[in-house]
Amino acid sequence: MYKETTSSKIVKWTLIGISIAFVILMLLLPLITVIAEAFKQGFDIYAKAVSDNYTVKAIWLTLEATLLAVIINTVFGLSAAWSLTKFHFKGKKVLTTLIDLPVTVSPIIAGLIFLLTFGRQSPIYPLLQDWDIKIVFAVPGIVLATIFVTFPFISRELIPVLEARGNDEEEAAALMGAKGWTIFRKITFPHIKWAFLYGVVLCAARAMGEFGAVSVISGHLRGKTNTLPLHVEILFNEFQYVPAFAVSSILVMLAIAILIARSVIEYKGRKKI
Amino acid sequence: MYVELKNINKHFGSFKASDNVSFGIEKGKLIGLLGPSGSGKTTILRMIAGLENPDSGEIIIDGKVINNVPASKRGIGFVFQSYALFRYMTVFENIAFGLRVLKKSENEIKERVAELVKLIGLEGLESRYPSQLSGGQRQRVAFARALAPNPQLLLLDEPFAAIDAKVRQELRHWLKEMIAKLGVTSIFVTHDQDEAIEVADEIIITNKGRIDQIGKPLDVYSKPKTAFVASFFGQPNIFKDYNKFHSFDTVPNVEQAIVRPEFVKVTKKNEVQKFKNSAEEGVVTDIAFRGSGIEITVLVNGETLTARRSFDEAAIAVGEKVDVFIYRLFVTVGENAFLLENKSLREPVVVI
Ligand SMILES: Nc1ncnc2c1ncn2[C@@H]1O[C@H](COP(=O)(O)OP(=O)(O)O)[C@@H](O)[C@H]1O
Ligand SMILES: [Mg+2]
Repeated sequence: MYKETTSSKIVKWTLIGISIAFVILMLLLPLITVIAEAFKQGFDIYAKAVSDNYTVKAIWLTLEATLLAVIINTVFGLSAAWSLTKFHFKGKKVLTTLIDLPVTVSPIIAGLIFLLTFGRQSPIYPLLQDWDIKIVFAVPGIVLATIFVTFPFISRELIPVLEARGNDEEEAAALMGAKGWTIFRKITFPHIKWAFLYGVVLCAARAMGEFGAVSVISGHLRGKTNTLPLHVEILFNEFQYVPAFAVSSILVMLAIAILIARSVIEYKGRKKI
Repeated sequence: MYVELKNINKHFGSFKASDNVSFGIEKGKLIGLLGPSGSGKTTILRMIAGLENPDSGEIIIDGKVINNVPASKRGIGFVFQSYALFRYMTVFENIAFGLRVLKKSENEIKERVAELVKLIGLEGLESRYPSQLSGGQRQRVAFARALAPNPQLLLLDEPFAAIDAKVRQELRHWLKEMIAKLGVTSIFVTHDQDEAIEVADEIIITNKGRIDQIGKPLDVYSKPKTAFVASFFGQPNIFKDYNKFHSFDTVPNVEQAIVRPEFVKVTKKNEVQKFKNSAEEGVVTDIAFRGSGIEITVLVNGETLTARRSFDEAAIAVGEKVDVFIYRLFVTVGENAFLLENKSLREPVVVI
């Protein structure tokens, strides 16, 4: 075994020290501050801020956008990962690159794209008007923007898992006459389950916290198009610090719940292999 | 012919993986598809199974052209090189899979799986997962899974490649026995000549996407038709100019001479040998003990040859001068191979 020398010990503890200090300063301290600020004027004020009508509506909208983003990105992620790993076709490289686009462009730009595509200036705006579809400054816009920014999360988790395995198990099943859906359910899904759940968790986390793209397209209509992060900003800008921190604490708790879910999934997924 | 391939061609991009492949297989036979790695064996198997489509040519099974029948409807059992066992299913569920797809009743499934588990000798391991089995056991499960729906044709891709040498020997016999017992027409792929010779009723030799020769193991071994087949089997010593060894007919345009160990007789100077007069002097450069005898490397006329002697013959030392007699050799002209016999075998000899 490798023996630690004095100098390597120093290096080790310096590095560990830096990491811990960094985590405390950058992550733990702000988290504690949020919770402390939220409860600064007592639990009653906190409870009132959290159960405020607009806050509740923002929570529901956030959950709605998150749920839809997860569902739609699941469908997209599974199909994209499947087609990219199991088929050879023209434009495969382009598609692979495009999937990553949402994480490389700034969310503000993403919001602007939707504003320009579906807003008043857009050539398809009259069409949307005719069909009575409202996207910009409305819930569909929020959902679209959320889907956009969380687009690659599930497919990115699935692609390496599917790639690493090849498809002879699927071929074996197909040779025995199994249909596509049976093959997916019984052969493919058990294999990608943990990676998939992990992708869902990442997607949900990102969807809940999304600010930039949603901010551009929402129009900040309180009780209508305000998600939790937007609501926090509004409260903060109105100098309502306690409610702002109270609402933030909800997001923090959601984030912690997701972290726990993530660890459990990672642990179980590793054990399975 | 039960299975017939007619002028099959298959490209992967610009690479020709199958080049005008044609052969026929009789019902109930166990066929070995033998060739070096990359010669297109797996491609042929996958086309028969329906996992790849040939660019041109016909695949006929039981008198019907099946090119347009999807893989799932061909009723072929396939044992993958990697076994491709369903890793999230138990041994039982793996074997039962094909039966479940066929919507057999639970009782029928139980009965058939039990029968197969007994056949492969894995009773008691039904609830294990593939990762909890040894290589040999996995191979047997893959075999049972492929057989469960009663296929009329069984395809096996390098069934023993991933198994260690000792178990491999055992499994070969086991598989040959099993297939004989079940009477299912089978094609197995291998790059191992010994395996093909030992197991197959008939061998099909692939080379660069083409079929070089088809025949009984002994025939392809002793009567190779092409230069490739002649040099593929045995432990060939290959050299250019065979005319420096006397007593062979001269064939025009010979490119190579191929000499196998069993074509060479090495005798000590004081030993009696029928064809001593036509023997040539060589020097022993190496001696190796093999399980079956002693392998001797000699340098004769500037060429290195390998020969075998049995343990009960007199010992030979490295550096010893010996007599070397070549009974026969293969010569190649272009793609073709011919057998040349030493002329002294035909001449009446007087033993003094
Ligand atoms: N799906 C594929 N795409 C591209 N090339 C392939 C594919 N399958 C096989 N090949 C090529 O065809 C040749 C023959 O392959 P294969 O039939 O697997 O040979 P073998 O089984 O005799 O080793 C190889 O050179 C291989 O690289
Ligand atoms: Mg192969």
